[in-house]
Amino acid sequence: MDFRNILSDIEKTDPEVFERLSPRRTVLKSFGAKVAVAALPLAIASLFRKAYGKTTTAVTDALNNALELEYMEFNFYHIANNITTVGLIPTADQPGFLTIEAHEKGHINFLKTTITALGATPFKPNYYTDATSTPPYVPKAFDFRASGNPAYAPIFDHVFDDYTTFLVAAQTFEDTHIRAVLGQMPGWAGLPVFAQAQQLLATEGRHAAFVRLIRRNRNAPEQPMPWVSNNIPPLSAVPTSNAILQPFYNGEENTHQGSTAIDQLPGINGTIPSVSASAAFDEPMSQTMVMSLLAPFINP
Amino acid sequence: MNILGSPGLGEKGSDNISIPSRRRFLQLAGGIAGAGLVLSACHQRTGPTDIYVGSGDTALLNFLYVLEQMEADFFTKAVTGAYIGISQLEYLALVDMRDQEIAHREYLQGLLGKDAITAIVTNFSGVNFADRTSVLTNASVMEDIVSAGYNAAAGRFQDQSFPQSFCKIASVEGRHASYFRDALSHNNFADSTVVDVNGLSQAPAPSVVLTTAQQFLTTRFDSSNLPN
Repeated sequence: MDFRNILSDIEKTDPEVFERLSPRRTVLKSFGAKVAVAALPLAIASLFRKAYGKTTTAVTDALNNALELEYMEFNFYHIANNITTVGLIPTADQPGFLTIEAHEKGHINFLKTTITALGATPFKPNYYTDATSTPPYVPKAFDFRASGNPAYAPIFDHVFDDYTTFLVAAQTFEDTHIRAVLGQMPGWAGLPVFAQAQQLLATEGRHAAFVRLIRRNRNAPEQPMPWVSNNIPPLSAVPTSNAILQPFYNGEENTHQGSTAIDQLPGINGTIPSVSASAAFDEPMSQTMVMSLLAPFINP
Repeated sequence: MNILGSPGLGEKGSDNISIPSRRRFLQLAGGIAGAGLVLSACHQRTGPTDIYVGSGDTALLNFLYVLEQMEADFFTKAVTGAYIGISQLEYLALVDMRDQEIAHREYLQGLLGKDAITAIVTNFSGVNFADRTSVLTNASVMEDIVSAGYNAAAGRFQDQSFPQSFCKIASVEGRHASYFRDALSHNNFADSTVVDVNGLSQAPAPSVVLTTAQQFLTTRFDSSNLPN
């Protein structure tokens, strides 16, 4: 383990790492030489904890949960873009989904580096070391058809051979991903990772809008806008989809932020319409709820 | 087009800008230290009519308030004089975004209370509201600026309750920015000028964002104590 290599790796995702660790960069550069080799891991961990603020297991557990969701999304798009039958994604939309896949891979790298820097072990999906895996592609870890779940399976069975179904899944995953990260933000309050997580969120907002706009232009029945209107889930041709996907969106209809009733604030004609008061803010979801809703897609 | 400097400007870029100004601040502060005038002396007003945005959290809130006033006014004008040949979806999108940005603006004004700056004057002389490309292009530039603005502010608040509510807006501003970029050029919702190799959306210093937003604003600001 070369300490300087670790630092230079971290610097790629956190250009301020040297400043965080010490205002005197030269001290760090000679750090390895001055500390006895046996004491090095301990010294490094303590150095990072100091630099990145008070780190508790809760902080890194929350980052690992975010990492798990990134693995899920990366694998979803990687299969759709590269593995599945040719023709799932129309040529016109392919560049966008390749961009999303690249971003999710970037998120995995960013989170792994950050979690390591905080002295914790990055999450690995089940089957990470399986022979078919070339991480972050870990195909056995996920079942995007949800074939083991009788409620989900009818909706997602054709996720990789029917574009409409794929888009319903993509929208659900993107919107839920935003809610999941929002649910973890309070745990990162005051830490440098908070602002970085928000930068990640802003990117996920771009992804969600891209998928929603495609669905809108393909005449999806609920006519989605790029933002979440009230708590309306994506509708598929499967009659049960409304009930099954509703829990992913419950709570999004919230029109209160703290003690402020957004729909009572002055708007263009009277007060702000409740649909806009709600859409103007995405809403958090607890890790417990997120993981219970996504469980049918994750292989034990 | 990269609206906020080189790709991946991020932290390094903000350092390039903020460190000299921080040094200048320290020199100024040092020069009058002991006179008991440190804070007031640091209001380096750049012009007699500039609006002072305050310091600390107040400055950050006013900074976001400026951005939301800018957006709300833009979309209000865009809806009122909707361009020729506007599609139903594009019209609905402009109306939705107008109402959402007004919601953000009024929310920020409420948080600021008596510390809110006065209403600002926008300058959309470079926008042809009768022309689709002009409206969408300028809206796209503006949404990228505002998305960057929320990311710029995120790590700089003292009171952590503020960024906890603003992160719920940050993802929505990302949705807005995505919409206009895609409407102009499909699949171009998040190119490398606004999202870095780690998939993180840009987060320049607040002063950089404000300077970039100035192209749409007549009002000038004294942001000398805006956290940077």
